[in-house]
Amino acid sequence: MVTVDEQTSCWQEGLTVATLLAQLDDGHIYAVVKLDGKLVSRPHFDTTPVPDGARVTRIPMIAGG
Amino acid sequence: MTPIKSTTRKTLTYPRRNVDKGYTDQYLDVDLSAGTIATGPIEEKIKKTFIGGKGFDLWLLWDALKGDNKWDDPQNAICISSGPMGGTPAYPGSGKSIVTSISPLTGSVIDSNVGGYFGPYLKFSGFDALRITGKTKGDTVVVIDGIEEKIEILQIPGLPEDAYALSDVLTDHFSQGKKVGISVISAGPGAANTRIGCLNFSWYDNARKRVRYKQAGRGGIGTVFADKGLRAVVARWEQVSLKTNNPADLEALKTVARCHSREIVELDPKQNEMARLGTVHLVPIMNDFDLLPTNNFQYGSHPGASLIGREAFEKLFDPGYDGCWKGCTVACAHGVKDFVPYTGAYKGRKVFVDGPEYETIAGCGSNLGIFDPFTILEINFYCDAYGLDTISVGTAIAFVMECFERGLINADHTGGMELSFGNRLNALVLIHQMASGEGFGAIVGQGIRRMKGIFAERFGADPAMLQDIGMESKGLEFSEYMTKESLAQQGGYGLALKGPQHDEAWLIFLDMVHNFMPTFEQKAEALHWFPMFRTWFGLCGLCKLPWNDIVPEDNKDTLEPAKVMKHVNWYAEYYTAVTGCKATPEDLITMSEAVYNFQRVFNLKMGYGTRDHDTLPYRAMGPVTVEEYASRQERYDTELKEKYTVDLTGKDTPWRLAELRKRREAQYETLKDAVYQRRGWTANGIPTVETVKRLGIDFPEVMAVLAKNGVK
Repeated sequence: MVTVDEQTSCWQEGLTVATLLAQLDDGHIYAVVKLDGKLVSRPHFDTTPVPDGARVTRIPMIAGG
Repeated sequence: MTPIKSTTRKTLTYPRRNVDKGYTDQYLDVDLSAGTIATGPIEEKIKKTFIGGKGFDLWLLWDALKGDNKWDDPQNAICISSGPMGGTPAYPGSGKSIVTSISPLTGSVIDSNVGGYFGPYLKFSGFDALRITGKTKGDTVVVIDGIEEKIEILQIPGLPEDAYALSDVLTDHFSQGKKVGISVISAGPGAANTRIGCLNFSWYDNARKRVRYKQAGRGGIGTVFADKGLRAVVARWEQVSLKTNNPADLEALKTVARCHSREIVELDPKQNEMARLGTVHLVPIMNDFDLLPTNNFQYGSHPGASLIGREAFEKLFDPGYDGCWKGCTVACAHGVKDFVPYTGAYKGRKVFVDGPEYETIAGCGSNLGIFDPFTILEINFYCDAYGLDTISVGTAIAFVMECFERGLINADHTGGMELSFGNRLNALVLIHQMASGEGFGAIVGQGIRRMKGIFAERFGADPAMLQDIGMESKGLEFSEYMTKESLAQQGGYGLALKGPQHDEAWLIFLDMVHNFMPTFEQKAEALHWFPMFRTWFGLCGLCKLPWNDIVPEDNKDTLEPAKVMKHVNWYAEYYTAVTGCKATPEDLITMSEAVYNFQRVFNLKMGYGTRDHDTLPYRAMGPVTVEEYASRQERYDTELKEKYTVDLTGKDTPWRLAELRKRREAQYETLKDAVYQRRGWTANGIPTVETVKRLGIDFPEVMAVLAKNGVK
C-alpha cells in the first residue's frame, strides 16, 4: 500500500511518482511531492520509484519569494 | 566594552497617543541637521489614500524631496512605518516594518519590507511612521522610548563598528532589564563604504537569550543611514496583546486570526515546513526546474545544489521558535548556533548566524559556483555584521567572477585576486574589502551599474558584453531567480517599480511550470493583480508568506488557485476587523493601486519611471553566449522551429543565438505594451490622468509631474 496524503492506494512493482499521480484525478497539477519526507520535483517524477509502504504528500503550487 | 557614555543633543517629551483601530494618526519627524524632533498629523484623507506602511513612507518622502535631490542630500529621508495591522500578535506575519528612501543604487525610490519588532514598537509608542532627514557628524543614536514618552537624539562615541555587536550593546543598555522590549535598527561599516548597505532590525529572542536580526536589504538604505551619521535607532516598548492595536472588532479579529493561524499549524508541516526549515526547500526545487541561478545566471541547475539545500540546512539550523514577530506561526527566521567563522574579525569565535534564507543561499552560493554551506553561512554572517545586502553582494560578485573568467577583467584589476567561480576564499576577501572600503572590494561595493562603467572606461572591457551579463535593472541587482524561460517573470522583474526584486511578482511557476497565463493579456493581468496584492502587505505591516506559502488543501479546486482567494478573503476580514472600514478583496487591490501608481509617478518626479527604465539585461531574457545556448540547445532550437517556424538547416549556433535574441527582446516589448495598457498607463509607461483621478491621487503636485512629462 501507498499513502497519498490521507488516502491509501495500491502499490505495484515499478510504481513511480509519475504513474502514481497519473492514477489520481488531479495528479497532473502537482509539480512537487514529498516522498517519505524528501522533495521530488516533476522533472524526476518518471524516474523516482515509489517503494511499498511509502507516504506521499502532494505539495501545492509553489509560490516562492 | 566600557560603559556607554552619551551626550544628549535633543530631547522631546510627549504625551503618548494610544493606538485607535490600528492607527495613531501622527508621525514622528527627526531632522538630524537641525537637531529637531517634531510630530505631525496624519489626516483622514492621507490615511484613506495611503493606508499605512509604504504608503505613509512615500507620502512623507515625497514631501521631503524635490525632483533634483540625490540620495546623499540632507533632504533625503529614511521613512519607516508598519501599518494598521502591524503589531497584531495573533495573526501570522503581522510585525513588519517598511523602510523607504532614495536609493544610492537607483537614484529613485526604494522600499524594503523587514521583520523584527521595530515597526510595531514605533506605533505603540505613538507614531504610525518615522521620518529621518538631515545629516549629523556620526555616533548618533535616536531613541524612541514609548514607555517613558520621550524621544532623544544622543551622541554615543565608542560604539562597536559592526551591527552584530552594536545591537547587542544597545539592547543591553536601553532595556532596563527587559530586553524583549527593545528593537534596534543599525547598519555597519559595509553600509558606510558601499552603495549596497542594508539595515538590521533586531528583536530579542527570549528563549535563546540573544538579539536576533532581520534585514531591510534592498537598494542601499543602510548606506543612506550611514551617510546621515546614524549609528542606530532604538525603540522601547512593553507588553503587547491583541488589544494593543485597539481593533474595531476584537472578536472578529480573534476569529479570523485563529482560522489562519490554526491552518498554518496544521498544514505547514505537510507542505513546505516553513516553521522548521524556512525557505531552504526552494533550493532543490528551483534546481530541478532549471531556475536556480548558477554562475551569474548563466545556468539554472548544478549537481552540487544538493549540498546547499534543504537536507544540508535542516542539520545546521538551531531548533526552536523563530518568529520575527510575536505569535507568528510561519516562524521562518531560522539561524545557526555556534558557527565559527574562519576569516575576519570573528575568526575562531562562536557566533549565531541569522539565516540563511533561499536568496542568500542562491546568491552567495550557487550563483558564485560555491556549493559549501559553511562558506554561505560565513558570507551571511559577515554581510549582516557589516550591513551589506546579501542579494546585491551575491549578484555583484557573480558578475565580477564571470567578467574575470571571460577576461573582461584580470588580476591586475582585482589586486592580484583570482576570482573564478567557486573561489570561496577570495569571495570572502572581497566582502571584507567592501566593508573596509579598500582594494577591489571598494569597486564591487558600488554595485553592478557602476562596475560596468568602471570596467569599460578604466579596464577596457567590452561595454556591450558587460550590459548583457550585468544582472541589474534600474541600478538594482537582481534577486535570485532565473527568468530566461518565464516571460511573465521577466515582466515581474523589469516592470517592478524599484528594480528586479521578487516581492512585487513571483510568477515563474504559474507561468513556466503550470502555464496558467499563455497569452500576453493573461500575463498582463497577472502583472497587474499580483503586484497590487503583494503591495498591499507592505501597506498594512504584514508579511506575504502566510498568504500563499501555506495554502488550503482545497485551494486547487477553486476558480483562481494562484490567488489563494480563501486567504485573500481572510485578509479583507482582518483589515475590516482592525480598522473598522469594511473592505472586500477588490478593495484591497484598489488600495494598492493608488499607492503603486503614486510610486510610479514618484519615480517620474526623480527623473525615471518611463519605458526606457523598464529594460532588462539580455541574460534575463535568454542565452547571451554560445555555450549558454549549447547547454540547452534542444529547448532553444525547438522554440525557434515550433514557435517561430524558423528553418535551422545549416545554421550555426551564433546565428541561432541572434535569431532567438531578436524574438525574445521583441516579446518583452510586447509584454510591456500589454502591461502598461492593463495598468492604465501610456505607451511610455506613465499613469494617465484618468488613472490617477480614478485612484484619488490627483494631487496638484502629481498632476504637475505628469504635465511636465507630457501627460495632460
